[in-house]
Amino acid sequence: MTVSNALTMILVVAISGCVTAVIEDAREQPTGLLEGETVVVMAKSYHQGNETETDYIRCVEKALGRGSGALNVVPNQQFVDNLFPWFEPRTAPADTKGLAQLMERPGIPEAVRDMGVRYIVWLDGDTSRVTQGGSLSCAAGPGGGGCFGFAWWTDAADYEASIWDLGDSAAVGTVTVDYSGTSFLPALVIPIPLIARTQSKACSGLAKQLKLFIVGDDAT
Amino acid sequence: MIATRHLSSVALLIALFSAGCASNVKVAEPTLPKPHIDKLPLDVALRIPDEFNHFVHEENVLGRETWTIDLGAANATFFKQLFGFMFDKVIVLGPDDDAMDYTFDALIEPVIEGFEFSVPNQSKTEAFAVWIRYRMQIYDSAGNSASTWTVSAYGKSQKEGLGGSKALQRAAELAMRDAAALILLHMNKATKISALADGPIDISQLESPVVADNASADGGIGPVGIFAIGGIDNDSE
Repeated sequence: MTVSNALTMILVVAISGCVTAVIEDAREQPTGLLEGETVVVMAKSYHQGNETETDYIRCVEKALGRGSGALNVVPNQQFVDNLFPWFEPRTAPADTKGLAQLMERPGIPEAVRDMGVRYIVWLDGDTSRVTQGGSLSCAAGPGGGGCFGFAWWTDAADYEASIWDLGDSAAVGTVTVDYSGTSFLPALVIPIPLIARTQSKACSGLAKQLKLFIVGDDAT
Repeated sequence: MIATRHLSSVALLIALFSAGCASNVKVAEPTLPKPHIDKLPLDVALRIPDEFNHFVHEENVLGRETWTIDLGAANATFFKQLFGFMFDKVIVLGPDDDAMDYTFDALIEPVIEGFEFSVPNQSKTEAFAVWIRYRMQIYDSAGNSASTWTVSAYGKSQKEGLGGSKALQRAAELAMRDAAALILLHMNKATKISALADGPIDISQLESPVVADNASADGGIGPVGIFAIGGIDNDSE
Protein backbone atom coordinates (compact mmCIF):
# COMPACT_ATOMS: atom_id res chain seq x y z
CA MET A 1 0.00 0.00 0.00
CA THR A 2 1.37 3.37 -0.99
CA VAL A 3 1.60 6.25 1.44
CA SER A 4 -1.09 8.15 -0.47
CA ASN A 5 -3.47 5.17 -0.29
CA ALA A 6 -2.87 4.83 3.43
CA LEU A 7 -3.47 8.54 3.94
CA THR A 8 -6.69 8.34 1.92
CA MET A 9 -7.93 5.45 4.05
CA ILE A 10 -7.09 7.24 7.27
CA LEU A 11 -8.83 10.36 5.98
CA VAL A 12 -11.97 8.41 4.98
CA VAL A 13 -12.14 6.74 8.39
CA ALA A 14 -11.47 9.96 10.22
CA ILE A 15 -14.11 12.01 8.42
CA SER A 16 -16.94 9.50 8.31
CA GLY A 17 -19.88 9.96 10.62
CA CYS A 18 -20.15 8.05 13.87
CA VAL A 19 -22.14 4.82 14.28
CA THR A 20 -23.17 3.10 17.49
CA ALA A 21 -24.22 -0.54 17.60
CA VAL A 22 -26.09 -2.99 19.81
CA ILE A 23 -25.92 -6.66 18.80
CA GLU A 24 -27.73 -9.38 20.70
CA ASP A 25 -28.53 -13.01 20.11
CA ALA A 26 -30.89 -15.43 21.76
CA ARG A 27 -30.25 -19.13 21.34
CA GLU A 28 -33.03 -21.69 21.66
CA GLN A 29 -31.20 -24.74 20.35
CA PRO A 30 -27.63 -25.74 19.55
CA THR A 31 -26.47 -25.20 15.97
CA GLY A 32 -23.71 -26.31 13.63
CA LEU A 33 -22.99 -26.98 9.98
CA LEU A 34 -21.78 -30.23 8.44
CA GLU A 35 -19.60 -30.42 5.34
CA GLY A 36 -21.69 -29.46 2.30
CA GLU A 37 -24.52 -27.91 4.31
CA THR A 38 -25.65 -24.43 3.33
CA VAL A 39 -27.73 -21.52 4.54
CA VAL A 40 -30.20 -19.31 2.71
CA VAL A 41 -31.11 -15.71 3.52
CA MET A 42 -34.77 -14.74 3.09
CA ALA A 43 -36.77 -11.58 3.78
CA LYS A 44 -39.94 -11.88 5.78
CA SER A 45 -42.94 -11.25 3.55
CA TYR A 46 -43.87 -7.78 2.40
CA HIS A 47 -47.45 -9.00 2.60
CA GLN A 48 -46.97 -8.74 6.35
CA GLY A 49 -45.59 -5.22 6.15
CA ASN A 50 -41.91 -6.08 6.17
CA GLU A 51 -39.75 -3.46 4.45
CA THR A 52 -36.33 -5.14 4.45
CA GLU A 53 -34.37 -3.69 1.54
CA THR A 54 -33.34 -5.97 -1.34
CA ASP A 55 -29.80 -4.62 -1.31
CA TYR A 56 -29.52 -5.36 2.43
CA ILE A 57 -30.46 -8.99 1.84
CA ARG A 58 -27.87 -9.21 -0.94
CA CYS A 59 -25.30 -7.59 1.32
CA VAL A 60 -25.90 -10.12 4.13
CA GLU A 61 -25.78 -12.99 1.62
CA LYS A 62 -22.42 -11.78 0.32
CA ALA A 63 -20.99 -11.04 3.75
CA LEU A 64 -21.94 -14.50 5.04
CA GLY A 65 -20.22 -16.13 2.11
CA ARG A 66 -16.87 -14.40 2.40
CA GLY A 67 -14.17 -13.57 4.91
CA SER A 68 -13.25 -15.43 8.05
CA GLY A 69 -15.62 -18.31 8.87
CA ALA A 70 -17.41 -17.98 5.52
CA LEU A 71 -20.55 -20.09 5.14
CA ASN A 72 -21.89 -21.75 2.01
CA VAL A 73 -24.84 -19.59 0.98
CA VAL A 74 -27.49 -20.62 -1.53
CA PRO A 75 -28.73 -17.56 -3.45
CA ASN A 76 -32.16 -16.53 -2.27
CA GLN A 77 -33.73 -16.56 -5.76
CA GLN A 78 -32.41 -20.05 -6.50
CA PHE A 79 -33.95 -21.39 -3.29
CA VAL A 80 -37.32 -19.71 -3.94
CA ASP A 81 -37.41 -20.89 -7.57
CA ASN A 82 -36.49 -24.47 -6.69
CA LEU A 83 -39.30 -24.62 -4.14
CA PHE A 84 -41.91 -22.69 -6.17
CA PRO A 85 -44.63 -21.87 -5.12
CA TRP A 86 -44.01 -22.63 -1.44
CA PHE A 87 -41.64 -19.79 -0.49
CA GLU A 88 -43.32 -16.90 -2.29
CA PRO A 89 -44.02 -13.78 -0.19
CA ARG A 90 -47.65 -14.85 0.24
CA THR A 91 -47.15 -18.58 0.68
CA ALA A 92 -43.95 -18.97 2.72
CA PRO A 93 -44.49 -20.62 6.11
CA ALA A 94 -45.08 -18.00 8.79
CA ASP A 95 -43.90 -20.22 11.63
CA THR A 96 -42.10 -23.49 12.24
CA LYS A 97 -45.40 -25.36 12.50
CA GLY A 98 -46.09 -24.37 8.89
CA LEU A 99 -42.53 -25.33 7.98
CA ALA A 100 -42.96 -28.81 9.46
CA GLN A 101 -46.16 -29.30 7.44
CA LEU A 102 -44.42 -28.07 4.29
CA MET A 103 -41.48 -30.44 4.82
CA GLU A 104 -43.93 -33.36 4.77
CA ARG A 105 -45.07 -32.56 1.24
CA PRO A 106 -43.72 -34.86 -1.47
CA GLY A 107 -40.68 -33.47 -3.24
CA ILE A 108 -39.96 -30.67 -0.79
CA PRO A 109 -37.44 -32.43 1.52
CA GLU A 110 -35.66 -33.79 -1.57
CA ALA A 111 -35.42 -30.32 -3.16
CA VAL A 112 -34.08 -28.87 0.11
CA ARG A 113 -31.59 -31.72 0.43
CA ASP A 114 -30.38 -31.24 -3.16
CA MET A 115 -29.45 -27.66 -2.31
CA GLY A 116 -27.92 -28.75 0.99
CA VAL A 117 -29.86 -26.08 2.87
CA ARG A 118 -29.72 -26.61 6.64
CA TYR A 119 -30.69 -23.15 7.92
CA ILE A 120 -33.04 -20.42 6.75
CA VAL A 121 -32.18 -16.94 8.02
CA TRP A 122 -35.35 -14.79 7.96
CA LEU A 123 -34.61 -11.07 7.92
CA ASP A 124 -36.99 -8.49 9.28
CA GLY A 125 -36.49 -4.75 9.72
CA ASP A 126 -35.19 -1.79 7.78
CA THR A 127 -33.07 1.34 7.81
CA SER A 128 -34.94 4.58 8.36
CA ARG A 129 -34.20 8.24 8.98
CA VAL A 130 -35.10 9.06 12.57
CA THR A 131 -34.02 12.69 12.89
CA GLN A 132 -32.55 15.43 10.76
CA GLY A 133 -31.77 19.11 11.14
CA GLY A 134 -29.67 22.11 10.19
CA SER A 135 -29.77 24.09 6.99
CA LEU A 136 -27.60 24.36 3.96
CA SER A 137 -27.87 26.70 1.03
CA CYS A 138 -25.96 26.86 -2.20
CA ALA A 139 -25.72 29.64 -4.73
CA ALA A 140 -24.03 30.13 -8.07
CA GLY A 141 -23.26 33.27 -10.05
CA PRO A 142 -21.09 34.46 -12.90
CA GLY A 143 -18.07 34.61 -10.61
CA GLY A 144 -18.53 31.11 -9.22
CA GLY A 145 -20.60 29.41 -6.57
CA GLY A 146 -20.54 27.81 -3.21
CA CYS A 147 -22.48 26.44 -0.27
CA PHE A 148 -22.80 27.59 3.30
CA GLY A 149 -24.43 25.98 6.30
CA PHE A 150 -24.58 22.79 8.28
CA ALA A 151 -26.94 19.82 7.98
CA TRP A 152 -27.11 16.57 9.90
CA TRP A 153 -29.27 13.47 10.01
CA THR A 154 -29.48 10.24 11.96
CA ASP A 155 -30.33 6.84 10.43
CA ALA A 156 -31.37 3.80 12.43
CA ALA A 157 -30.78 0.32 11.03
CA ASP A 158 -32.76 -2.19 13.08
CA TYR A 159 -32.81 -5.77 11.86
CA GLU A 160 -33.74 -9.11 13.33
CA ALA A 161 -32.63 -12.45 11.92
CA SER A 162 -34.63 -15.52 12.91
CA ILE A 163 -32.83 -18.77 12.21
CA TRP A 164 -34.77 -21.94 11.38
CA ASP A 165 -33.22 -25.39 11.20
CA LEU A 166 -34.68 -27.27 8.25
CA GLY A 167 -33.29 -30.54 9.67
CA ASP A 168 -35.86 -30.67 12.44
CA SER A 169 -38.16 -27.79 11.38
CA ALA A 170 -37.40 -25.78 14.50
CA ALA A 171 -36.45 -22.22 15.36
CA VAL A 172 -32.94 -22.21 16.78
CA GLY A 173 -32.65 -18.56 17.77
CA THR A 174 -32.52 -14.93 16.76
CA VAL A 175 -29.83 -12.32 16.20
CA THR A 176 -30.76 -8.65 16.42
CA VAL A 177 -28.70 -5.63 15.41
CA ASP A 178 -29.57 -2.03 16.17
CA TYR A 179 -27.22 0.46 14.54
CA SER A 180 -27.59 4.20 14.78
CA GLY A 181 -25.46 6.55 12.72
CA THR A 182 -25.31 10.33 12.49
CA SER A 183 -24.05 11.97 9.32
CA PHE A 184 -22.90 15.59 9.05
CA LEU A 185 -22.66 17.92 6.11
CA PRO A 186 -20.80 21.15 6.95
CA ALA A 187 -20.27 23.55 4.07
CA LEU A 188 -18.01 26.54 3.87
CA VAL A 189 -17.97 27.17 0.13
CA ILE A 190 -17.32 23.46 -0.43
CA PRO A 191 -19.61 20.87 1.27
CA ILE A 192 -17.71 18.21 3.20
CA PRO A 193 -19.91 15.13 3.64
CA LEU A 194 -19.18 13.06 6.76
CA ILE A 195 -21.43 10.11 6.03
CA ALA A 196 -22.21 7.38 8.56
CA ARG A 197 -22.54 4.09 6.69
CA THR A 198 -25.22 2.81 9.04
CA GLN A 199 -26.85 0.16 6.87
CA SER A 200 -23.55 -1.15 5.57
CA LYS A 201 -22.21 -1.55 9.09
CA ALA A 202 -25.47 -3.21 10.19
CA CYS A 203 -24.97 -5.67 7.32
CA SER A 204 -21.41 -6.61 8.22
CA GLY A 205 -22.26 -6.68 11.94
CA LEU A 206 -25.22 -8.99 11.45
CA ALA A 207 -23.31 -11.30 9.10
CA LYS A 208 -20.41 -11.59 11.54
CA GLN A 209 -22.74 -12.44 14.41
CA LEU A 210 -24.71 -14.93 12.29
CA LYS A 211 -21.51 -16.77 11.39
CA LEU A 212 -20.64 -17.07 15.08
CA PHE A 213 -24.19 -18.10 15.95
CA ILE A 214 -24.55 -20.79 13.31
CA VAL A 215 -21.18 -22.49 13.56
CA GLY A 216 -20.33 -21.43 17.08
CA ASP A 217 -22.14 -24.20 18.93
CA ASP A 218 -21.53 -27.50 17.19
CA ALA A 219 -24.60 -29.70 17.41
CA THR A 220 -23.75 -31.96 14.52
CA MET B 1 -39.97 42.94 -30.34
CA ILE B 2 -37.96 42.58 -27.17
CA ALA B 3 -41.19 42.03 -25.20
CA THR B 4 -42.29 39.33 -27.64
CA ARG B 5 -38.92 37.63 -27.31
CA HIS B 6 -39.19 37.70 -23.50
CA LEU B 7 -42.71 36.35 -23.64
CA SER B 8 -41.56 33.53 -25.90
CA SER B 9 -38.74 32.67 -23.50
CA VAL B 10 -41.08 32.70 -20.53
CA ALA B 11 -43.59 30.54 -22.38
CA LEU B 12 -40.84 28.11 -23.30
CA LEU B 13 -39.65 27.94 -19.70
CA ILE B 14 -43.21 27.43 -18.42
CA ALA B 15 -43.73 24.68 -20.99
CA LEU B 16 -40.50 23.00 -19.98
CA PHE B 17 -41.28 23.13 -16.27
CA SER B 18 -44.92 22.14 -16.59
CA ALA B 19 -44.26 19.23 -18.90
CA GLY B 20 -44.27 16.01 -16.92
CA CYS B 21 -41.64 13.33 -17.28
CA ALA B 22 -42.63 10.15 -19.01
CA SER B 23 -41.37 6.71 -18.07
CA ASN B 24 -41.88 3.62 -20.15
CA VAL B 25 -41.54 0.17 -18.66
CA LYS B 26 -41.56 -2.95 -20.78
CA VAL B 27 -42.26 -6.12 -18.83
CA ALA B 28 -40.44 -9.14 -20.17
CA GLU B 29 -42.35 -12.34 -20.77
CA PRO B 30 -42.37 -14.28 -17.49
CA THR B 31 -40.67 -17.59 -16.90
CA LEU B 32 -42.32 -19.48 -14.09
CA PRO B 33 -40.26 -22.11 -12.29
CA LYS B 34 -41.59 -25.67 -12.39
CA PRO B 35 -43.89 -25.89 -9.39
CA HIS B 36 -43.85 -28.58 -6.72
CA ILE B 37 -47.50 -29.54 -7.13
CA ASP B 38 -49.38 -32.48 -8.58
CA LYS B 39 -51.04 -31.83 -11.93
CA LEU B 40 -54.83 -31.97 -11.98
CA PRO B 41 -56.06 -34.81 -14.24
CA LEU B 42 -58.04 -32.52 -16.46
CA ASP B 43 -58.07 -31.52 -20.13
CA VAL B 44 -58.47 -27.77 -20.17
CA ALA B 45 -59.15 -25.27 -22.93
CA LEU B 46 -57.66 -21.85 -22.26
CA ARG B 47 -59.18 -18.94 -24.14
CA ILE B 48 -56.64 -16.12 -24.39
CA PRO B 49 -58.40 -12.77 -24.79
CA ASP B 50 -57.04 -10.37 -27.38
CA GLU B 51 -55.83 -7.85 -24.77
CA PHE B 52 -53.46 -10.48 -23.29
CA ASN B 53 -51.25 -10.18 -26.35
CA HIS B 54 -50.70 -6.41 -26.11
CA PHE B 55 -51.68 -5.07 -22.71
CA VAL B 56 -50.52 -1.51 -22.04
CA HIS B 57 -51.38 0.46 -18.92
CA GLU B 58 -50.78 4.21 -18.79
CA GLU B 59 -51.23 6.39 -15.75
CA ASN B 60 -50.49 9.96 -14.85
CA VAL B 61 -49.07 10.12 -11.34
CA LEU B 62 -50.05 13.21 -9.35
CA GLY B 63 -50.15 15.25 -12.55
CA ARG B 64 -46.38 15.23 -12.75
CA GLU B 65 -45.21 12.02 -14.29
CA THR B 66 -46.70 9.65 -16.81
CA TRP B 67 -45.89 5.99 -16.47
CA THR B 68 -46.54 3.53 -19.25
CA ILE B 69 -46.30 -0.16 -18.46
CA ASP B 70 -46.22 -2.39 -21.49
CA LEU B 71 -46.98 -5.99 -20.55
CA GLY B 72 -46.98 -7.00 -24.22
CA ALA B 73 -47.82 -10.69 -24.45
CA ALA B 74 -46.65 -11.38 -20.90
CA ASN B 75 -50.15 -12.33 -19.73
CA ALA B 76 -50.69 -14.78 -22.56
CA THR B 77 -47.35 -16.45 -21.90
CA PHE B 78 -48.02 -16.44 -18.17
CA PHE B 79 -51.34 -18.31 -18.37
CA LYS B 80 -50.07 -20.78 -20.98
CA GLN B 81 -47.11 -21.67 -18.74
CA LEU B 82 -49.13 -21.73 -15.56
CA PHE B 83 -51.92 -23.97 -16.82
CA GLY B 84 -49.36 -26.14 -18.59
CA PHE B 85 -47.92 -26.86 -15.14
CA MET B 86 -51.36 -27.27 -13.53
CA PHE B 87 -53.30 -29.51 -15.86
CA ASP B 88 -52.66 -32.73 -17.77
CA LYS B 89 -53.49 -31.13 -21.13
CA VAL B 90 -54.04 -27.55 -22.20
CA ILE B 91 -55.54 -26.44 -25.53
CA VAL B 92 -55.00 -22.74 -26.25
CA LEU B 93 -57.89 -21.02 -28.00
CA GLY B 94 -57.71 -17.63 -29.66
CA PRO B 95 -60.41 -14.98 -29.17
CA ASP B 96 -62.23 -16.11 -32.34
CA ASP B 97 -61.90 -19.88 -31.95
CA ASP B 98 -65.14 -21.79 -31.49
CA ALA B 99 -64.88 -23.84 -28.30
CA MET B 100 -67.38 -26.36 -29.65
CA ASP B 101 -64.75 -27.51 -32.18
CA TYR B 102 -62.61 -28.88 -29.35
CA THR B 103 -62.93 -31.57 -26.69
CA PHE B 104 -62.11 -30.64 -23.10
CA ASP B 105 -63.27 -31.06 -19.52
CA ALA B 106 -63.21 -27.36 -18.66
CA LEU B 107 -62.78 -24.06 -20.45
CA ILE B 108 -61.09 -21.19 -18.63
CA GLU B 109 -61.38 -17.58 -19.74
CA PRO B 110 -59.08 -15.26 -17.78
CA VAL B 111 -59.43 -11.48 -18.04
CA ILE B 112 -57.59 -8.60 -16.41
CA GLU B 113 -60.16 -6.90 -14.25
CA GLY B 114 -57.84 -4.35 -12.74
CA PHE B 115 -54.27 -3.12 -12.94
CA GLU B 116 -52.90 -0.55 -10.51
CA PHE B 117 -49.53 0.56 -9.30
CA SER B 118 -47.95 2.99 -6.91
CA VAL B 119 -44.62 4.82 -7.13
CA PRO B 120 -42.51 6.15 -4.23
CA ASN B 121 -43.99 9.66 -4.62
CA GLN B 122 -47.41 8.28 -3.79
CA SER B 123 -46.57 5.70 -1.13
CA LYS B 124 -43.91 7.82 0.62
CA THR B 125 -41.67 4.76 0.69
CA GLU B 126 -38.78 3.63 -1.49
CA ALA B 127 -40.90 0.94 -3.09
CA PHE B 128 -42.86 0.44 -6.28
CA ALA B 129 -45.96 -1.73 -5.98
CA VAL B 130 -48.22 -3.36 -8.56
CA TRP B 131 -51.67 -4.87 -8.10
CA ILE B 132 -53.21 -7.08 -10.78
CA ARG B 133 -56.70 -8.46 -10.51
CA TYR B 134 -57.52 -11.42 -12.76
CA ARG B 135 -60.98 -12.85 -13.12
CA MET B 136 -61.36 -16.37 -14.38
CA GLN B 137 -64.61 -17.63 -15.79
CA ILE B 138 -64.79 -21.42 -15.86
CA TYR B 139 -67.16 -23.40 -18.07
CA ASP B 140 -67.80 -27.12 -18.22
CA SER B 141 -67.57 -29.17 -21.42
CA ALA B 142 -71.21 -28.43 -22.24
CA GLY B 143 -70.73 -24.69 -22.02
CA ASN B 144 -72.37 -24.17 -18.64
CA SER B 145 -70.76 -21.56 -16.44
CA ALA B 146 -69.27 -23.49 -13.56
CA SER B 147 -67.71 -20.74 -11.49
CA THR B 148 -66.04 -17.35 -11.48
CA TRP B 149 -62.95 -16.70 -9.44
CA THR B 150 -61.20 -13.39 -8.86
CA VAL B 151 -57.53 -13.36 -7.91
CA SER B 152 -55.93 -10.20 -6.54
CA ALA B 153 -52.15 -10.32 -6.75
CA TYR B 154 -49.56 -7.94 -5.39
CA GLY B 155 -45.90 -7.34 -6.07
CA LYS B 156 -43.50 -4.89 -4.48
CA SER B 157 -39.93 -3.96 -5.31
CA GLN B 158 -37.54 -1.50 -3.73
CA LYS B 159 -36.24 1.38 -5.81
CA GLU B 160 -32.64 0.85 -6.84
CA GLY B 161 -30.52 3.56 -8.41
CA LEU B 162 -31.92 6.79 -9.79
CA GLY B 163 -34.66 5.55 -12.10
CA GLY B 164 -37.57 3.39 -11.12
CA SER B 165 -38.19 1.50 -14.35
CA LYS B 166 -36.46 -1.67 -13.24
CA ALA B 167 -38.18 -1.65 -9.85
CA LEU B 168 -41.61 -1.18 -11.41
CA GLN B 169 -40.89 -3.92 -13.92
CA ARG B 170 -39.82 -6.22 -11.09
CA ALA B 171 -42.95 -5.34 -9.09
CA ALA B 172 -45.13 -6.29 -12.07
CA GLU B 173 -43.27 -9.59 -12.47
CA LEU B 174 -43.66 -10.29 -8.74
CA ALA B 175 -47.38 -9.55 -8.94
CA MET B 176 -47.76 -12.08 -11.75
CA ARG B 177 -45.76 -14.59 -9.75
CA ASP B 178 -47.98 -13.93 -6.74
CA ALA B 179 -51.01 -14.64 -8.93
CA ALA B 180 -49.37 -17.87 -10.09
CA ALA B 181 -48.80 -19.01 -6.50
CA LEU B 182 -52.41 -18.23 -5.57
CA ILE B 183 -53.83 -20.01 -8.62
CA LEU B 184 -51.61 -23.07 -8.16
CA LEU B 185 -52.48 -23.48 -4.49
CA HIS B 186 -56.10 -22.32 -4.32
CA MET B 187 -57.82 -22.57 -7.68
CA ASN B 188 -59.07 -26.12 -7.31
CA LYS B 189 -60.30 -25.55 -3.77
CA ALA B 190 -62.03 -22.30 -4.74
CA THR B 191 -63.60 -23.38 -8.03
CA LYS B 192 -63.87 -27.18 -7.69
CA ILE B 193 -62.59 -27.35 -11.26
CA SER B 194 -61.31 -30.92 -10.83
CA ALA B 195 -64.91 -32.11 -10.42
CA LEU B 196 -65.43 -31.24 -14.10
CA ALA B 197 -63.28 -34.25 -15.03
CA ASP B 198 -66.38 -36.34 -14.23
CA GLY B 199 -68.39 -34.56 -16.89
CA PRO B 200 -70.51 -31.41 -17.16
CA ILE B 201 -72.21 -30.05 -14.09
CA ASP B 202 -75.80 -31.06 -13.41
CA ILE B 203 -77.75 -28.21 -14.99
CA SER B 204 -80.87 -29.15 -13.11
CA GLN B 205 -79.16 -27.69 -10.06
CA LEU B 206 -78.47 -24.41 -11.84
CA GLU B 207 -80.85 -21.49 -11.86
CA SER B 208 -79.67 -19.97 -15.17
CA PRO B 209 -77.07 -21.83 -17.18
CA VAL B 210 -74.80 -19.71 -19.35
CA VAL B 211 -73.54 -20.93 -22.71
CA ALA B 212 -69.78 -20.55 -23.00
CA ASP B 213 -69.32 -20.74 -26.74
CA ASN B 214 -67.47 -17.56 -27.70
CA ALA B 215 -69.06 -15.86 -24.72
CA SER B 216 -67.53 -12.65 -23.59
CA ALA B 217 -65.57 -12.97 -20.38
CA ASP B 218 -67.52 -9.98 -19.17
CA GLY B 219 -70.66 -11.98 -19.59
CA GLY B 220 -72.81 -13.46 -16.88
CA ILE B 221 -71.40 -14.54 -13.58
CA GLY B 222 -71.71 -18.25 -13.06
CA PRO B 223 -74.43 -19.44 -10.76
CA VAL B 224 -72.26 -21.95 -8.91
CA GLY B 225 -70.05 -19.65 -6.95
CA ILE B 226 -67.89 -16.56 -6.84
CA PHE B 227 -64.69 -16.74 -4.87
CA ALA B 228 -62.02 -14.20 -4.17
CA ILE B 229 -58.64 -14.27 -2.50
CA GLY B 230 -56.53 -11.21 -2.04
CA GLY B 231 -56.62 -7.82 -0.57
CA ILE B 232 -57.87 -5.16 -2.96
CA ASP B 233 -61.52 -5.36 -3.75
CA ASN B 234 -63.87 -7.80 -5.30
CA ASP B 235 -66.12 -5.65 -7.33
CA SER B 236 -67.22 -8.54 -9.46
CA GLU B 237 -69.34 -9.61 -6.56
